[in-house]
Amino acid sequence: MTRGFALLLGLVLCVGVGALAWATEGFRVITSQGARQLSIARHPIPVPNVRLVDQDGHTFSFADYRGRTILVDFIYTRCPRLCGVLGDDFRQAFSRSDAKNDRVAFLSISFDRADDRDTLRFYADRYAAKTPGWRVAMPCDAHGLSTLLQTFGITVISDGMGGFVHDGTIYLVDESGRLARILDPGTRIAAGHP
Amino acid sequence: MNTTRALVPVAWGMLWIARAPLEHEMALHMAVQLPLLIGVGYMLATFLRPYEPRWFAESDWLGIPGLLLVVFATSFWMLPRMLDLALSEPWIDSAKFASLPLLAGLPLGSSWPRMPGLGRAFLWANFIPKLGAIGGLYLAAPTRLCAYYRLDQQAAAGIALIAVAIVLGTCWSVIVFVGSPPFWSRAGIRRQRARHEILEAGE
Amino acid sequence: MTGIEAVGSRSRINATAAVRAYLATCGIVLLLMMLLGLTMRLAQAQWIDVEPNLFYVVMTMHGAGMVGIAGLGGAAVMWHFVRRYVPVSTAIFVANLVFFLIGAALILGAGFIGGFAGAWTFLYPLPGHSGGLWSANGAAAYMAGLLVIGVGFLLLHLDIARGIISIYGGLGAGLGVKQAFGFAPEKDGPPPAVAAATMAAISNVIGIVVGAVVLILSLVNLYAPSFTFNTLAAKNLIYYFGHTFINVTIYMAVIAVYEILPVYTHRAWKTNRVFYLAWVLSTLMVLTVYPHHLLMDFAMPTSILVAGQIISWLSGLPVLLVTAFGALTNVYRSGLKWDAAAGLVFMGVAGWAIGIIPAVADGTIPVNSVMHNTQWVPGHFHTYLLLGMMAMMLGFMTYLAGPKSPSHLAPAGVWLYLIGGTTFVLAFLAAGSASVPRRYAVHLPAWLAYDRAGSIGASLAVAGALILIVRFLVSLRSPIDATP
Ligand code: HEM
Ligand SMILES: [Cu+2]
Repeated sequence: MTRGFALLLGLVLCVGVGALAWATEGFRVITSQGARQLSIARHPIPVPNVRLVDQDGHTFSFADYRGRTILVDFIYTRCPRLCGVLGDDFRQAFSRSDAKNDRVAFLSISFDRADDRDTLRFYADRYAAKTPGWRVAMPCDAHGLSTLLQTFGITVISDGMGGFVHDGTIYLVDESGRLARILDPGTRIAAGHP
Repeated sequence: MNTTRALVPVAWGMLWIARAPLEHEMALHMAVQLPLLIGVGYMLATFLRPYEPRWFAESDWLGIPGLLLVVFATSFWMLPRMLDLALSEPWIDSAKFASLPLLAGLPLGSSWPRMPGLGRAFLWANFIPKLGAIGGLYLAAPTRLCAYYRLDQQAAAGIALIAVAIVLGTCWSVIVFVGSPPFWSRAGIRRQRARHEILEAGE
Repeated sequence: MTGIEAVGSRSRINATAAVRAYLATCGIVLLLMMLLGLTMRLAQAQWIDVEPNLFYVVMTMHGAGMVGIAGLGGAAVMWHFVRRYVPVSTAIFVANLVFFLIGAALILGAGFIGGFAGAWTFLYPLPGHSGGLWSANGAAAYMAGLLVIGVGFLLLHLDIARGIISIYGGLGAGLGVKQAFGFAPEKDGPPPAVAAATMAAISNVIGIVVGAVVLILSLVNLYAPSFTFNTLAAKNLIYYFGHTFINVTIYMAVIAVYEILPVYTHRAWKTNRVFYLAWVLSTLMVLTVYPHHLLMDFAMPTSILVAGQIISWLSGLPVLLVTAFGALTNVYRSGLKWDAAAGLVFMGVAGWAIGIIPAVADGTIPVNSVMHNTQWVPGHFHTYLLLGMMAMMLGFMTYLAGPKSPSHLAPAGVWLYLIGGTTFVLAFLAAGSASVPRRYAVHLPAWLAYDRAGSIGASLAVAGALILIVRFLVSLRSPIDATP
């Protein structure tokens, strides 16, 4: 054993622990989703003012919600699985929320370019979504969609059966239009959150 | 000699070209691409051995620092977050292609021969079940750990890792249980007798 | 390179000193842990006042400490004798003790400073759900302590396995597989100590690496609670590790019987085909029985759990039978002069054999539905650990202390230990058949009679152990070559 041993060992330990700490945000996350959640909680980011069109065919943008908190989920109307859970959850929370209380709004955004006003309408009716409290909407153009996916950090991949795989996370946009929180995947707001 | 050396850049280059198909499946990414990248570095180590600096050979006592580096580098690239980043950020994937051969394969090749048998056994005994456990977690996880892989791909990766762990574990147990030469063979019995006598003479 | 030399060293003096250091540690910790046990018993008997929160800390420390030193004591017995037959490293043996002491410090800190009281089995996800009783750091220190101890034992068993392979060619030969199936003459078989050490190495290496996996997963869960895993799978892994580790302590300690009794009877321990077959069968059972129970079934029927537990207890049966039978034939008409060491070692075999009976009873499902989670369970394992395993270890200690140390007190120590220990375990068993639950800090008035009888028995056992251990510690003053 030489002095070099202690040195080398120390070096390897520092670099190794440092790299792992970097990759896990200080040993708190192991997934990219977790990392993003943590970074948003610390530094909320402004949501770009993308224009969307809702189930009634009206266009609107995020700026229209200033002063209100929005709960946002990302869906596609043909979804046979997760979106049903999300829809039910939003329906329960929406039906309980006071109609006059306009401090909280719900917004379901489709990431499927194959969706159109009719399919949005269909989805909205299925879960009793009513504008303006709960809009089921899609960005007006492909550019708006990619901006949104980028900002919210959403990865949508093909499920190999003509549909998509996504993780059904709920996002919170605060009064000043910033993406402020990403709820834990699997969190259901009707159960009392947040 | 030179042609075998050429294997290293060729294998590396082929892995780089095959990047997209291998990374498309989580199982191939984890159980094929990462080990092969380490293998490239391991090969490199066998060619570089004559040029190994003295101070390094001396400081790498029993191969401990080198193998610790291997443990860190491999754990780092197996994190679900790093798998994701390797797919979304080209520069991270390049970092992976550089660091797995150089920071995992190369030290593995140079430090492993320095590690005494007991240390190697210790590493195997820890590595095999942990590989199986990671596989089990992937297989059983109800949610996706990577944004770029579906749940079924994740489960397939889990099965692949478990399979590797089972194969390694079986090989290892057979070797330690049966021994080489196997204890029932003539050579095995002769060797055992001889060892017995040496030991008795030494007492 | 000094390290490699150290790994190969077989210096005799160091080795005996190391065994003494092990036994001194075991003796002192055993006494302290017995006092913790007595504290629990006295508290249940309502003779002293112990806060329930503290009771569970004490219970956790008692469980972990006892299991730990049972392993350490077994390792001392095994190593001391097995090195007569195979080359082993003193450095690794000493390293194990160092790892143990570091781990023990972490565990004690976790309990008495961090307040960790999740029982020695750290059943996931309990460590992370303390309801405010202990912090994540407390739980983490406990689990890190276990991990550190595991590293030491893993190295020790691997080193012994390596030694066995270097002489016998493989672990199969170390176990006597050839002899067991009649492929080789019985006289060429490994000595009993080697067969036992082989079995201990195989079982404990697997048990420990499995334990390390759950420990690491639980540690990750402590700090990243969103990372969870299947609770049932975790429970299986933990029990696989726990059962194996505690069972292996007796396979290690039993080497004291194989090596010490023949010294007294002047008859070699008979190793025949049945003996090897028993060791092979017990090994196979330990290896194959539990894994089928590790399948990631989402809802494992309790019957499978119970059946699995029984089989894992029964897996020791072949070895127990050949050992008990071997001990009887070895002693029978040998004209041996009983003394404290021989008596303790023999008591160990008897305690082990008797301790299995309540396990078999507990295993039968109709009985189990009444007895499970009653004090019947501690009754069973205290019988084979206190009167079996620990008796063998105390016998080894007494044997090492040698005849030169004051010996007039030793028989008194043995009798106190035997009578007190028997009373103590009978009180548990009786309470168990009256359905007194285990792991209750506060007992109903109707149960106090058992608790008081148990306390009295436990006090006597502590006194007996105190005599034997002090006698051993005193003997340490004599130079090393005075010991056998
Ligand atoms: C004088 C000696 C001893 C006394 C007074 C004693 C006392 C006790 C008591 C009162 C309990 C709790 C019973 C309950 O659940 O209500 C207990 C549990 C336990 N004891 Fe002992 N004990 C002694 C020796 C030993 C020995 C020698 C070992 C092992 C080598 C041991 C291992 C354990 C274990 C593993 C538990 C289970 C802890 C748990 O439930 O988590 N004990 N003991
Ligand atoms: Cu969906």
